[in-house]
Amino acid sequence: MKIKKSFRSYKAWVARPGGIGISSGIAMMATLLILGVLVPVFGNRSDAFVGDPFARPSLKYPFGLDQLGRDMFSRVFNAVGVDLGVAFLGVTIPFVIGTIIGILLGLARNRYFLSTVGSIIDGINAFPLLIIAIAAITFLGPGLKSVIIILSLTNWARYARIARTKAVVVAQQNYIEAARTLGYPRWRIIRKHLAPNVSAETIAYALSDFILVITVVAGLSFLGLAARPPAAEWGSMIADGRIFIGQAWWLVIFPGLALCWAAVSLSFIVEGLFRRDRGV
Amino acid sequence: MKKGNQLSRKIFGRFLRAIVVAFWVMVLSFALIRIAPGDPASTKLGIGAEKEAIDLLRKQLHIGGNPISQFFSYLGDLIHGNLGASLQTGVKVVDIINRTLPLTIYLILLSTLCALLLSIPIGTFIGWSGKGPLVYGFRGITAVFLATPNFFIAMVGILFFSVRHNWAPVFGYDTAFPKNLHYLWLPVVVNTIIMTSVISRVLYSSVTETKDQEFVETGIIRGVSGRRFFWFYILKPSLAPTVVLLSYMMGTMLGATVILETIFSLPGIGREMVGAVLTSDYPLVQGILLYFGAITVFLSFMGDLIAYLLDRRVKI
Repeated sequence: MKIKKSFRSYKAWVARPGGIGISSGIAMMATLLILGVLVPVFGNRSDAFVGDPFARPSLKYPFGLDQLGRDMFSRVFNAVGVDLGVAFLGVTIPFVIGTIIGILLGLARNRYFLSTVGSIIDGINAFPLLIIAIAAITFLGPGLKSVIIILSLTNWARYARIARTKAVVVAQQNYIEAARTLGYPRWRIIRKHLAPNVSAETIAYALSDFILVITVVAGLSFLGLAARPPAAEWGSMIADGRIFIGQAWWLVIFPGLALCWAAVSLSFIVEGLFRRDRGV
Repeated sequence: MKKGNQLSRKIFGRFLRAIVVAFWVMVLSFALIRIAPGDPASTKLGIGAEKEAIDLLRKQLHIGGNPISQFFSYLGDLIHGNLGASLQTGVKVVDIINRTLPLTIYLILLSTLCALLLSIPIGTFIGWSGKGPLVYGFRGITAVFLATPNFFIAMVGILFFSVRHNWAPVFGYDTAFPKNLHYLWLPVVVNTIIMTSVISRVLYSSVTETKDQEFVETGIIRGVSGRRFFWFYILKPSLAPTVVLLSYMMGTMLGATVILETIFSLPGIGREMVGAVLTSDYPLVQGILLYFGAITVFLSFMGDLIAYLLDRRVKI
C-alpha cells in the first residue's frame, strides 16, 4: 500500500516539467557510479594482463582487450572515480572560493576596489578554461594534482562574477533589511541569509560547469598533460588507443562513450532543473 | 545629436573596459610563470648548469629580482614587439605565432561560417514552429552534442571517414587553397557540429521569446510579407544574444582547436602550444597565451558592439 502510494507520488513528480530529464539523468549517473564502485572491487585489475592483445569485445570481455591485453571493461569503469573525482574537486573548490569572494564583493562599497577586482576577474575569465589550464601546466608540471590546483586558481572567477551579481540583488531585499534592523551581526546575515540565496545561483552554474570540467580534465589527459598512461582515465585511454584505431576501434569508442554518458547524464539533469525552474 | 553622443559614449566606455581587461590579461600571462615551484630557470637548464647561463635565462624569462621592475622590463619588450625567443629552437616567438596563427584563425572562421549557415535556419525554424516532438528531438540531440568532448567526435569521424573510407587524411597539410580543404574538412565539421548545437539552441530560445512579443503580432496583422517579416520581426530582435554567444564561442574554439590540431596534426598555433608545453618552452607558452587572451578580449568587445548595434536594449 505504502509502496503504491509513494510510486504514485513519484509518477506525479516525474510528470511535472523537466521530470523526465532529471530522473533519467540521475538514473544514468547512478548506473555509472554503481559500476564505478563495483567493477574496481569485483572485476579484473585495471593493469592486469588477462588475455591476447586486441581481443575483440566478447561475452567474457564486453569491451574487448587493449594493446597490452588489459580488460577494457574494468579499465573504463576504474576510471569513473578518477575522472569524476577530479572534476568534482575541480568544481567544488572554485565554487566555494568564488561564492565567498562574490558575496564579499557584493557587500563591498569602495568603488576603486570593486572596479579593480572586477577587472581582474574579467581578465581571468578572458582566457578559455582549457587554454589557461594548458598554459599553467607548463609551469606546474603535468599531473592530476596540477589540474585541480589550476582549476581552483582560475575557475573561481566565473563563480565570483555570478555570485556578486546575485549578492547585490539579494542585499537589497526586504528580509536582509529586516535582519539588519533586528540588529543581527553582519556575519550571521551573510551566513544565514545571503549565502543560501546566492549559492542557489552558483550551484546552478556549478552543475553545468561540471560538464565543462569533465571535458577539460579528459581533454588535458588526452593531450598527455593530466593523467598519464598507464593510468586508467578516459582521456588518456582515448589518446592511447588513437594509434591503433585502424585495427581496434573499441580502444577509443568505449572510454569515449563512458565520457559522453557522464556528461550527457549531467546535461539531462541541468536541462530538467532548468525546465522545472521555469515551469515549462 | 544627443542620441549619437550617447551611442559613441557607450561604445567608448566598453572600449575602455576592453583595454583594462587586456591589461590584466597581460599581467596574468606575465605572472603565470611565478606559480612554478622552485626556480624555472635552473629546473629548465638542469643540474650542473653554469650560473651565468641560469642568470641569462632568468633575465629572458623576466623572473628573479623585483617583480615590479621585471614587469616594466617585460612591458618594455612587449611594446617593442619582442616576446622573447623559443628556448627550444631559438626562433622569435612573434615569428612562430605569425607563422602558425593564420591556419587556426582560418579553421575557426570557416567553422563559424558553416555553423551560422546551419544554425540560423535550424534555430529560427524550430523556434517559430514550436512543435513538441520537434523541440524535444532538437533539445535532446543538441544536449548530447554539447556534452560530447570534441576529441571524441573527432575520433568517431576519423574512424568512419579515414579508417573505413579513406576520405579524410589524418595528418599532413597543404597551404594552397582548394587543396587545403581536403585536410581541413573533418576538423571543420567537428567544430561546426559543436558550434551549431550551441548557437541554434540560443537562437531557438530567443526566437521563442521574440515570437510572443506584441510587435510580431502587429507585423502579422499588418501583413508584412515573407523575407521582410522574417528579418525585421523575427531574426533581428533575436540575434543579439546569439552574437554575444558567438563571440564567446569563437574564443572557446581556440581551446577546442588546440585539441583538434593535435589530433589532425595541423601546423596551427594550438599544436605549437601543446608542443611548447611538453618541452617547457616558457616564453613561447607565455606569448601564445597573451595572443589568445588578446584575441578573446577583442572578440568579446566586437560581440558586444555588434549586439548593441543590432539591439539597443542590450547592456554593454
